[in-house]
Amino acid sequence: MQIGRVIGKATATIKHPTLARERMLIVQLLTSTGAADGEPVLAFDHLGAARGDRVILTTDGRAMQDLLGPKTPARYSVMGLPDAGQGVGS
Amino acid sequence: MRLAEIVGKVTLSRSLPELKGGRLLLARPMTAAALALDAPDRGEDVVLYDDLGAGPGSIVGLSEGREAANPFGKIKTPIDAYCACLLDAIDVDPELALPAGHPALDTNRTRTL
Repeated sequence: MQIGRVIGKATATIKHPTLARERMLIVQLLTSTGAADGEPVLAFDHLGAARGDRVILTTDGRAMQDLLGPKTPARYSVMGLPDAGQGVGS
Repeated sequence: MRLAEIVGKVTLSRSLPELKGGRLLLARPMTAAALALDAPDRGEDVVLYDDLGAGPGSIVGLSEGREAANPFGKIKTPIDAYCACLLDAIDVDPELALPAGHPALDTNRTRTL
């Protein structure tokens, strides 16, 4: 799991069938000091995270396979919305 | 799953049978500045397997690592970069995407591709 910040959203009509009806957010993963960690990623959201929210992403594809089926190419999904003031880049 | 821009394609004279049916494209991952400001900077090139029909210039979802082989199910493939979706619209807020001191923090743009 890793903390990230929602920096935007994206839509795609042509996609892998298991990604149908999935809400896609663009998330910038953060290091422990709050700095950006690598390029932004596409994360699938079921919790209704909004732009600018800090989110906890699961980085294990297993969760997405359970949710969307064994053939899904998805990895990151939002699994938590940490309260503000948790120390990391809050 | 990073976002990547397709910049070209790769042709193989000989390849494993599992690679049949799709195409190999050259993609460059999009950085935060590229997504927020159309900046030209990109990450390192990646060769990805595409069966959705992405063309040069399109922005795709680049699935990497173990998840890239999931779509092939039980078939063992050497694929570790897979085109999971063709993005229609990307809406990134520069204030959120860029570090605080970034000089270009003045415009907020939605980019429809």
